Amino acid sequence: MAAWDLSVAVEELGPEAPPLKVSVTSDLHIGGVILKIVEKTQIKKDWSDHALWWEQKKQWVLRAAWTLDKCGIHADARLNFMPQHKPLRLGLPNGATIRLKASFSAPVFRCVMGICRILNLRHPEELSLLRPMEEKKKKKDKNPEEVYELTDASPNPASMLTLSNGMPAHFAKSAEHEAVYKMLSISQPAPAPETIAKTYRPANVVEKAEVNGRWLDSSRSLLQQEINENDKLLIRFKYFSFHDIEPKHDAVRLTQLYEQARWAILLEEIDCTEEEMMLFAALQYHIGKVSLAEPQITSSPAMDDLDSALQCLELKLDEESSSGADMLETMMPAPELHDYLKIFRPKRLTLKGYKQYWFTFKDTSISYYKSKEESFREPIQQMNLKGCEVTPDVSIAGQKFCIKLLIPEPDGMNEVYLRCENEQQYSKWMAACRLASKGKTLADTSYTSEVESIESFLAMQRTNPGTASAQTDESINTHSLVSLRYQKKYKPKQLTPRILESYQNVAQLSLTEAIQKFLQIWQALPDFGVSYFVVRFKGCRKDEVLGVANNRLIRIDLSVGDVVKTWRYNTMRQWNVNWDIRQVAIEFNGNVNIAFSCVTADCKIVHEYIGGYIFMSTRSKEPTDTLNEELFHKLTGGHEAL
Amino acid sequence: MDDIDAMFSDLLGEMDLLTQSLGVETLPPEPPPSTASKEMNFSTGFDFNASIHELEDNDLDALMADLVADINATEEKLIAESKEQRAGPSASSSTSSLSSASSASSFSGSTAPTPTSNSFAFPSPTSAPAFTPTPTSGPAPALAPAAGGPKASTSPPPPSQTAKPSMEEIEAQMKADKIKLALEKLKEAKVKKLVVKVEMSNGSAKTLMVDERQTVRDVLDNLFEKTHCDCNVDWCLYETNPDLQIERGFEDHENMVEPLSAWTRDSENRVLFKEWKNKYGVFKNPQYFYLWKKDKSTLKDMKEKEKELLLEENFCGSSIIVPDLEGVLHLKEDGKRSWKPRYFLLRASGMYFVPKGKTKTSRDLVCLVQFDNVNVYHAKDYKNKYKAPTDFCFILKHPQIQKESQYIKYLCCDDQKTMTLWVTGIRIAKYGMTLYDNYKTAVKKTSASMSWTDKIGSNASTPSPTPKAKAANGHAAKPAQDAAPKAPSNQATLPPPPPSVTEMLPPPPPDPSLPPPPTTTMFSQGHLPPPPPPSSMAAGFSKGPLPPPPPPSCMGAGFSPPPPPLDDLPPPPPPDDDEMPPDFLPPPPPAVGFPAGGLPPPPPDPVMLPPPPPSAFPAPSGGPVPPPPPPPPPPAAAAGPKPPVRKVGPPPPKRTTPVAAAPSGGGDFMNELMVAMQKKRNL
Repeated sequence: MAAWDLSVAVEELGPEAPPLKVSVTSDLHIGGVILKIVEKTQIKKDWSDHALWWEQKKQWVLRAAWTLDKCGIHADARLNFMPQHKPLRLGLPNGATIRLKASFSAPVFRCVMGICRILNLRHPEELSLLRPMEEKKKKKDKNPEEVYELTDASPNPASMLTLSNGMPAHFAKSAEHEAVYKMLSISQPAPAPETIAKTYRPANVVEKAEVNGRWLDSSRSLLQQEINENDKLLIRFKYFSFHDIEPKHDAVRLTQLYEQARWAILLEEIDCTEEEMMLFAALQYHIGKVSLAEPQITSSPAMDDLDSALQCLELKLDEESSSGADMLETMMPAPELHDYLKIFRPKRLTLKGYKQYWFTFKDTSISYYKSKEESFREPIQQMNLKGCEVTPDVSIAGQKFCIKLLIPEPDGMNEVYLRCENEQQYSKWMAACRLASKGKTLADTSYTSEVESIESFLAMQRTNPGTASAQTDESINTHSLVSLRYQKKYKPKQLTPRILESYQNVAQLSLTEAIQKFLQIWQALPDFGVSYFVVRFKGCRKDEVLGVANNRLIRIDLSVGDVVKTWRYNTMRQWNVNWDIRQVAIEFNGNVNIAFSCVTADCKIVHEYIGGYIFMSTRSKEPTDTLNEELFHKLTGGHEAL
Repeated sequence: MDDIDAMFSDLLGEMDLLTQSLGVETLPPEPPPSTASKEMNFSTGFDFNASIHELEDNDLDALMADLVADINATEEKLIAESKEQRAGPSASSSTSSLSSASSASSFSGSTAPTPTSNSFAFPSPTSAPAFTPTPTSGPAPALAPAAGGPKASTSPPPPSQTAKPSMEEIEAQMKADKIKLALEKLKEAKVKKLVVKVEMSNGSAKTLMVDERQTVRDVLDNLFEKTHCDCNVDWCLYETNPDLQIERGFEDHENMVEPLSAWTRDSENRVLFKEWKNKYGVFKNPQYFYLWKKDKSTLKDMKEKEKELLLEENFCGSSIIVPDLEGVLHLKEDGKRSWKPRYFLLRASGMYFVPKGKTKTSRDLVCLVQFDNVNVYHAKDYKNKYKAPTDFCFILKHPQIQKESQYIKYLCCDDQKTMTLWVTGIRIAKYGMTLYDNYKTAVKKTSASMSWTDKIGSNASTPSPTPKAKAANGHAAKPAQDAAPKAPSNQATLPPPPPSVTEMLPPPPPDPSLPPPPTTTMFSQGHLPPPPPPSSMAAGFSKGPLPPPPPPSCMGAGFSPPPPPLDDLPPPPPPDDDEMPPDFLPPPPPAVGFPAGGLPPPPPDPVMLPPPPPSAFPAPSGGPVPPPPPPPPPPAAAAGPKPPVRKVGPPPPKRTTPVAAAPSGGGDFMNELMVAMQKKRNL
């Protein structure tokens, strides 16, 4: 068979170097070609990651056993010989950018699996890559963004499991890597309010739909989609169906999920009510505070063992020591609070001001007396705070420290204001009131921490909002916890009491609990998990919005925003894509047929979304590590796939 | 030293008596002067002091006399006695810590006459001598933690004579234990208890004692035992408030005492025990709530697996989904008699309405109420009372509020259906996953008690079973009951059936070798994204309608000594319980045990035969057997001839033992202690 010259550009030789000419025959298999190329370069290195990229056809030539003929490569072909794994800049949900090596030759689905392995993120099928927004002309944006380096981390299956110092082994190599892992697994401090205001946010459903046009095709490789070395992509949770979340193994996943949710809320990508926003803000504040306090949240098996051992020991000790003395102690009178406070009870048609009395806080009740000396007599009144509503009414600037109590009584709520002299007094009494409202007494272990958290929250108010360095715990600006709408609506000092109000319900949560609570509330929002696309239904003249969720498709009126129709996947019989006219057709039970073309995204993306959600629903409840990649591609691939 | 010992044992007995009499003696003072109007009597601030005072007249005197009479107990006797007596307290404390049915046991403990349980215990065929020590099997668990596990538990409570040398070591331990016990008792005495009169649907009433640690579920279980109702999941305890004309079904997980404590002294509120068909309606027919916008006919024909899919989607995720209710409701204006229509939306975070001139986008919504501090109540006849547009009203209020108040939110719906939707929706938003857990527990309870009542029912039909048979049956019943509490823990963790979609799914991909057709049909086989048809469901079904082959009926039941297979009897209910439609309850586990043992009578066909109706009531009284057909588990277990099972034995008669052990000087110490306690209280 006649030999002919194949021209191959080898990346290692530099971009200017002329392509190598390799003499080949058509029945030479690709492996042989590569061998020839390597010999010809005379460079000694590990070539195992290298493969041939066929520039004109935009495809990889990966089957080493195929002959050139079978691949359709002839003398006119210009091939590139390059590594399959190259660095990629990846924008994480938390806003940080990380540089790591990703596969440019594997389908994006597998590429994401690789990335997630490096990041130690379970269930990579829920994530995908999307192109970042076109950056508007870099105006004086001189400071290059901070990039975390992780290009030399190469996890092998073993290192995933072996944890050292609470993190996967491949992070434990150097201090830099540890810092990266910390960034991945611990939520970021609250952003400056300006950052929130500056960041792009979709103003309407059409803009929300446009975001979804930027997803990469999961069945094709990065290079095929014209992503080059060192380009920036974003990695995000794409399918809102989070499987088998387990705080123990999901430190990174939970954190990044939380970050994505937090930004979705801060940037108003998902709508919520004011009450919900305040709760989100309170949780963000709490999470920020707790993650500073307990920086090492991850646990290794070894630590677990130690923990449980310690617990056992504690239990034993408890058992042994909980003889008479201890038990007696628990039956001792609970700690109490005594002080002069002012009270005000708004009543109809009376404009009495605050009056000072001697107050005692015992168990869950407040009693007050004319004076300290009278405190052994019958109190003027005794109020049991169990089940009551406690609201702060505080202004540091005005030195006003009031506690508003709504005490339920058989014939309604009894409204009482207590006025304290200073922050310390307020924190003590406020904490006591809060605990009492939940039926706990001062003896409860959480009392001290409650007092502390109130104090630290008050400290927030003291700082003036002008200073932008909103990074440390003490000086957080409440504006960094809410979306722009509420930044505009309320001043920080108006916001603080509102957030404080919600905060009292979450102040006792641990970090993981708080994150999970945040995610839960996020997931309970009515619009949660709906990805929008502007589509045109067959036979309709105007654009409409199609919402794709994990269990249903929603047809939404574009102008009004009302839901027109909902179809659930379980009534779906089949769906097809006509790739020529780029139309998606779906048949539902009862002979319901719909068809639409996609305006803001390629129909492959919509198709992949629907198929992806069906794939997600097939995952078994039992934890397995294997991912049915083939099934995913069957469900989401177009005709080019496979 | 012995003195102290004696004093403590004395004290223990005393505490026991007190706690017991607290329960029993509060009953007599009930008869209120205004008999009819006072439906329920309860004592809230039930502190120790008061109870002692209450006791003083009758009990305390007798009690003291008893104590003094026993001054001359000898050393050995004391040791022996204290052991036995320890059985008492420890057993009683264990029952009270067992939150479920604890009030039941306190009742049976005090009412069951001692002789009965004895007579059950002794006829046991072989083990008579070995058996006598077993009444003290109580101490074994009590000893175990103190005396270092294995040693104590392996060696059965040594007979007093042989154990004398080892006694010394143990004595110190025992003393520590006793101190502990005494203190526990003191704590126990602080536990608030209410005597609750529960009205049955047939107009009769049952009076129960509920302690503050009990949940509504516990009380329901207790009532199931007492009433022979069919125990289906719809049974609930209902609170009514005639002042406000409202009512509310307690949720199973709620604490029973808490809401009752909110009642005022002169309250005319009542507690009803009745079926409430919407208690768990959302789990039986989730489509009515989650797909309420769809037309009725499609909802009616909803397939079981689709319902399950709905439940899974909304309740099995990491966060539960609240039905997306929205629509016009009428809201009563504060302090006025007028009702204003508003467009309301339900969200997980609360109930919102659309302010005038705004759209229903989230950010514009105004929060009417968040659910943390309020409960939802059905209101009755508000058309008359408040000139409501319809009688389909519900209110939201803090449980403590008992009278009309501006803090109550009054809402009025157009029809019954809407009201059910909203009330249920609010409950889901408020309780979330707990509601679903309650339901699952209720289903398990029901299926467990179902098999139990079946047995009882058929047992009643057997002509005059001998006492022995009775015991055997009671024993058999026990495991079934036992299985109930065990089941939840086993199954709660059981993940819902995996949607076995995988088998159905693999769709024929377009043949890769073919040139891509213009239109690629991705899936053309049948229902595409097949709703997870849990394979285990099918199993559940096939198991259901096919009850175990009825064994040759109960001839053996009376006389054969309990056969060994009985050990296998308490198999946990099949894991498929979850999937079973609630109104269709196959008899659970016994499938395994029955054929082998051949002992219990065939369970009646679950579908055909409704569980023993109230007509079963007369049976106990008219029946030839002295103990009532559903023998309260504790005595029944005591009668059980199997020593191993006896660990769960009933609290031994407490009244007698402590008294016997009372040594001299006990009275003084006790008084001192009381004084100390009083002081503490007054602090």
